[in-house]
Amino acid sequence: MGSKLPRVVRMVAAATAIGLAAACGGGGGQASPAAGGDPAQPVELTFWSWVPDIQKAVDQFNAAHPGIKVKLETITPGPDGGYAKMLAAVKAGNAPDVAQVGYDSLPSFLVNGALEDVTEHARDDAATFVDWQWQTGVFGGKVYAIPQASGPMGFYYRKDLFDKWGIEAPKTWDDFAAAAATIRQKDKDAYISTFAANQAPWMISLAQQAGRQWFSTEGDAWKVTIDNPDTRRMAAFWQKMLDDKLLKTEADLSNAWYKDLQTGGIVGWIGGSWGDAIIRGNAPDTSGKWAVAPMPQWAGATTFTSASWAGGSASAILKGTDNPAAATEFAVWLNSDPRSVNTLLSAGYGWPSIKDTSQITNLQKDDTVFPFYGGQNIWDVFKESDAAVTMDWRWPPVSDALYASLTDNAKAAVQGQGTLTDAFVKTQQAMVEQLRAKGLNVVTGG
Amino acid sequence: MAGVLQRTPTTPARAGVAPRRPPRRRAHVAVFVAPFFVAFALFFLAPIGYAIHQSFFRLTSSGLGLTEPVLEFAGLGNYVTALTDGAFLASIGRVLLFSLIEVPTMVACALALALLLDSARARFRAFFRVSFFLPYGVPGVIASLLWGFLYVPQTSPLIDVLAAAGLPHDFLGPDTILLSIANISTWQFAGYNMLVLIAGLQAIPQELYEAARVDGASETRIAWHVKIPLVRAPLILITVFTLIGTLQLFVEPLILKPLTTAVNSDYTPNLAAYNQAFGQANIHLASAEATLIAVMAFVISFGFLRLVNRKGNRAW
Repeated sequence: MGSKLPRVVRMVAAATAIGLAAACGGGGGQASPAAGGDPAQPVELTFWSWVPDIQKAVDQFNAAHPGIKVKLETITPGPDGGYAKMLAAVKAGNAPDVAQVGYDSLPSFLVNGALEDVTEHARDDAATFVDWQWQTGVFGGKVYAIPQASGPMGFYYRKDLFDKWGIEAPKTWDDFAAAAATIRQKDKDAYISTFAANQAPWMISLAQQAGRQWFSTEGDAWKVTIDNPDTRRMAAFWQKMLDDKLLKTEADLSNAWYKDLQTGGIVGWIGGSWGDAIIRGNAPDTSGKWAVAPMPQWAGATTFTSASWAGGSASAILKGTDNPAAATEFAVWLNSDPRSVNTLLSAGYGWPSIKDTSQITNLQKDDTVFPFYGGQNIWDVFKESDAAVTMDWRWPPVSDALYASLTDNAKAAVQGQGTLTDAFVKTQQAMVEQLRAKGLNVVTGG
Repeated sequence: MAGVLQRTPTTPARAGVAPRRPPRRRAHVAVFVAPFFVAFALFFLAPIGYAIHQSFFRLTSSGLGLTEPVLEFAGLGNYVTALTDGAFLASIGRVLLFSLIEVPTMVACALALALLLDSARARFRAFFRVSFFLPYGVPGVIASLLWGFLYVPQTSPLIDVLAAAGLPHDFLGPDTILLSIANISTWQFAGYNMLVLIAGLQAIPQELYEAARVDGASETRIAWHVKIPLVRAPLILITVFTLIGTLQLFVEPLILKPLTTAVNSDYTPNLAAYNQAFGQANIHLASAEATLIAVMAFVISFGFLRLVNRKGNRAW
């Protein structure tokens, strides 16, 4: 406000700066006839990621591949502006060769023409990876990205307090609601969890687990079914808990929420497998007091079902790379070599996307992770969870708009403007409009 | 902004014709001012022109949209989309409401501080002047983060005290968030605007005060009848700046957004444009929204200037 430069000018300046920054880190390098390259003249690749400690895995790759030299550039997480930077860099013709892109955003990248077709270089790698994760990077039979990790959901909870209050880890959602009520009786300052209206991927995971999917294709049209009976049942369940004042409504992954984890103001979290590092990092004094249980199930469910937070994350090969072969080789190695996967697992990047995890020693024994959970091997829970992720979930080419719309509507509902059910109805309408505005074919259903 | 400064009333210039410069001198002048105009055109006019140009296009796909989109001319389509979007219109209403709260508050605070420091009995002037001005040195993002910590119950030392005293203490609720944002803005800029007014006050000849004192005027009356009318021009200036600033409200809600459910992604027009550009990769709609915001700020600030500068028929 006041008399500094007009904001628009500053925004333009910032955008220019972003452009310049992107220009400094182009995916340069000489085209090489074959991957592997020549140690004397190594192929240079640029890799953009925000995963903490991924530099270690990049160093391991560089040590093992003298013919390829990968330079890591750490950027802001995709949803916070990283994706915008990537798309701008692709437009400007100086994008990195490989970039971290969530499964939920791959269709958007494809629609924006930002992905490189690497089918010929990745032909033999499909068998290495879990099928549903591999498929997230495949469109129309062509490969554009190599899966890195998913975020299967589980229930993190303060076992010490649950034991003290005589509460079992909830097996069903009804148990979860009952536990929430008991916690409110036992301690006036404690809540079972927050309803994170700020966190679209989290709400989507709840809907994904509830049953019916939100997006599918019918011929050459998108079918939007956000407002469906399963999602409505899920929304009504959480709305009732909100009405009964059983939940906090602060944002998750925020300072307030971290403080509550430290002080016992919040004693549980339905979160992705990478969440273990978040709790360990932000509430170190609660070490040994946590445990992980499977995601609660809907009453009457015949098979155990779970979901994955925003799908997961991939290493996408971006349009305009000079070395698609070397880039693919790096992406495959980074996400499948046991040394690399072990490194990334400890850094809290999620659940490995490879089928054969027998070489991943950290899954059996991890002295940084297990003691925090009272010695529990939490990966057993997430392994079961990952196997139970519903496979028919599809991401639309407008996931950013979906997130913005859902969080805005859910925030309004938490404020008392309508209910969560209304929030999903409004999001359904917004998505239909959004897809039509883009010129796509849309059919609706319920 | 230079235009604003020239609009302020000045003593009429001496009637007379400026001597004509010889042509060679003119060439010199051109050489010296060229670098400025080149930079001005490149870094100021070109981006504005580009944004306006972008606002007339749109990207469309077809079918499932799993192929590259096509750029097509949209005419006024993006403007229609923006102006028929309830959320965007609501955000405009919100900043207008915010202006109604913030502009009078800001001008009153700045004027009160300036008059206090300018009064004959003020002590430690330099110290207070620096203290009041200090918040302006804090970048907006940092200021919003600092206040954010004070507004969030889990991290705020204030809230427990207020709650214990039975005072209202919900800074992030739907009804109070706008006031909380106004508080951050006022804290940041009141000191700066105060300095502008102090500069105006120091230009007032002392004889006027002496004359007023001889006539038996108290300090309060001097402030009301002498000082305030004579700093009319800087008052108008800071009002216009504050008005433009409020219409462009962006940083504070952006930083507070993760802390509260009361701020959504199109809380203010600028935030909506930012969200379209960097959240949803729709630079065309964002450009149209940004253009609309600029036009709105232009119309309102010049409308205000017209209102207060009507010759011989001043509002005050």
